[in-house]
Amino acid sequence: MNPLLSKTKAALLKAVDLSALTFLEPVVRLAYGEEPAVQLRRIGRTILVPVIAVGIFLGAWSLIAGLIQTKAGTLPDPAATWTQGQAIWTGHVREGEKQTAYDLTGPRRERQLARVEARLEELTELDTQAREQVAAAEARKAEVLDETRTPLLAQIDRAKADIKKTKAERKEELKAAAVALEAGDRAAYDAYLVSLESGGETIEKMEEKLDALELKVDEAESRVYAPLIAAQKQATAIAEEIQHLNSMKDLLGDRNRGEKLTALDEKLEAQTAAFYDAQGEAVYSAANRIERTQRQITRTEEANYPMPYTLPWQVVRSIMCVFVGFILGTAVAVPIGVLCGLSPTIMAAMTPFIALFKPVSPIVWLPIMLIIVSGLVGDPDNNAFIQLLWELPLIGGFEINPAFLASAAVVALCSLWATLANTALGVASIDQDHINVARVLKLGFWSRLFKIVLPSALPLMFAGMRISLGVGWMVLIAAELLASSEGIGKFVIDMFNNGSSDSFAALFVVVFVVGIIGLFLDRIMIIFQRLVSFDGSVASI
Amino acid sequence: MAFLELKHVNKGFGPASHRTEVLHDINLQVEENEFVAVIGFSGSGKSTLMSILAGLESPDSGQVLLDGRAVTGPGPNLGIMFQNYSLLPWLSVAGNLEIAVKQVFPKMKKAERAEYIQHYIDLVTLTGSEYKTPPELSGGMRQRLSLARTLAMKPEVLLLDEPLSALDAITRSVLQDEIIRIWEEDRRTVVMITNDVDEAALMADRIVPLTPGPAATLERNFPVTLERPRDRAGLNFNPEFKSLRNAVSNFMMDMNQDAKSLRVASNLTLPDLEPKDFRTHYNALG
Repeated sequence: MNPLLSKTKAALLKAVDLSALTFLEPVVRLAYGEEPAVQLRRIGRTILVPVIAVGIFLGAWSLIAGLIQTKAGTLPDPAATWTQGQAIWTGHVREGEKQTAYDLTGPRRERQLARVEARLEELTELDTQAREQVAAAEARKAEVLDETRTPLLAQIDRAKADIKKTKAERKEELKAAAVALEAGDRAAYDAYLVSLESGGETIEKMEEKLDALELKVDEAESRVYAPLIAAQKQATAIAEEIQHLNSMKDLLGDRNRGEKLTALDEKLEAQTAAFYDAQGEAVYSAANRIERTQRQITRTEEANYPMPYTLPWQVVRSIMCVFVGFILGTAVAVPIGVLCGLSPTIMAAMTPFIALFKPVSPIVWLPIMLIIVSGLVGDPDNNAFIQLLWELPLIGGFEINPAFLASAAVVALCSLWATLANTALGVASIDQDHINVARVLKLGFWSRLFKIVLPSALPLMFAGMRISLGVGWMVLIAAELLASSEGIGKFVIDMFNNGSSDSFAALFVVVFVVGIIGLFLDRIMIIFQRLVSFDGSVASI
Repeated sequence: MAFLELKHVNKGFGPASHRTEVLHDINLQVEENEFVAVIGFSGSGKSTLMSILAGLESPDSGQVLLDGRAVTGPGPNLGIMFQNYSLLPWLSVAGNLEIAVKQVFPKMKKAERAEYIQHYIDLVTLTGSEYKTPPELSGGMRQRLSLARTLAMKPEVLLLDEPLSALDAITRSVLQDEIIRIWEEDRRTVVMITNDVDEAALMADRIVPLTPGPAATLERNFPVTLERPRDRAGLNFNPEFKSLRNAVSNFMMDMNQDAKSLRVASNLTLPDLEPKDFRTHYNALG
């Protein structure tokens, strides 16, 4: 084989091994033409089987979703979930566009405005068409409905008339029978009562038939007419885009920051001129006007587009929060773990705390942390530390507030135990041979710690950190939900409170988003774990 | 006076109630630049003896003297090469040497140190494997690296604890030759532990058998007067080598017999009891 090819192959295989994506290994080998039959069989097992399983899952989900009725409509099926996912993403992209539009200036703003207006014109036509299609579909639906409903309604009318007639006849009959009764004949009176009670059966049967007919009409009326739904969907999509473009137009026009500033500058100029012309008391009010305008200018310069919290933004904030918590937890867990591993005395001292606090639920920690953090921070607008965080580039945009810090602290508190226990184990179970090496070399405490103890404990430490990050990710969403910290948890509770069928589908989207991110976090930790492990023994998944 | 000396060394393990005496009244004198092989059966306390020589363990009673001074703890001057390599698996070949060299020669400059390390890598013929880590090396290569690390510390005494026991016969003979070559280039005091009489006869100036444990002791000395350099192939036909090997082997076998007979004599006799038959009892009840 070409040496370059075999080199890239080796590199690819190493990358696959390092990231523990072992299912890709046969694909790489097949791509280089190595034993195709063997590789295909392996691909069948490691890729095809999971793909089939996912297919079966999606199919079963689609089937079951239609059967479960809830207050928020039927359970979202895979298609609805996918559509909702796309809608969430489109919403996010549009908000991003609006933000850029707000900041655009000069010729770029004009060009963008022209583009928006052109598209709007296109859409106006499309919109009319879509509306027409909806109307047509509605008409067609009414026709179809009438076709089935008219005969049914006729039947119902007839059945109602029949019932009325039968009831009237029976009434007359009974009345006649009543007249015919002999006074004092108790047996005959009893028989009359029985005939009155039992005679209703025919009418009941007729009424049942009528109910059945009415049910059929209801069914026909509520039957979904697919072309109408499709037409409505299209019309909605167009209407949404028009709405978006209209607000884009505003943001590129009057509401644009640059435009606002230009207008204010002109105003200021005029006011300045008026100020110099003014005399007497008028000078005071003219000066005041200038001052007001100047203040307005500063405010406008500082203002940003009020971007609403979209799910992607919340996801990024959640990831940041989990890492802040994880780093905090690790920073606490590793030194304590090392101390516990080094000294059985410290381990004995720490054991009650570990045993006591480890099982405490994040839901208990959160209120405590919220109170503590709020107590420390007070008003975030007047807190130097929080203000400093807001000033930072990149991080500043995520509005780190007490709720965020409390969530991160809860993540730290709940996740540090695995790292602590594993670090202690790693340090305590250091190979006696390595200690002997340190003794022969007469290494001091610190070099023994950093050159022998920590490197040998590192694989176990990272195994613990991997568990910690997984726990932290699970804990975080509950914490955000409770703390109302803008993130995935907040999105979940908002969608739950919203209660529409769209938000139900959005919850399903969140399930997958959370799962996929959790998977990625785990992969990252696996890679780190592999990089620090020297004996190559790392769990396969 | 001898360079390295063991004086009435005793060592045991376990609590006082059932203590196992491993070494009993060990006396050994090793002259400067002498190559001594301590030979013994497995379980006779060879490794304990080595740990005491290296200062990793202290004797219960008695003394270890190096150049007239008592050994109180381990150090780079007592260069021990462990039976199971004891390499640091997260460091490369060069890294394993560097950590030792840095510690023993802190004043050495960086360039000088690199050269020094390379010298020892070349000495044990690991050239080309500088950046491999121990798990990537074969058993023989690991053992050579362990040897290089020990030598690089420039110890006054080289203590080899069954250095070649885990290797296959061919690698073993290659390394035997290599250790002798290095020792002849750079003479120093060596105490080697082994369980192989041929190896001891081939390499050492003197063979000291350790009686089988527990309570092992050093009884006799067998000086090896064969001329150096010794030729491995020719040695098998050398009458002196043969008689030495027979003498040591017979001595060892006899000791083993003695030890076994001693052990048998110390067996406890079981009390003469007959099991009671409970069935009759049950039958009576039923």
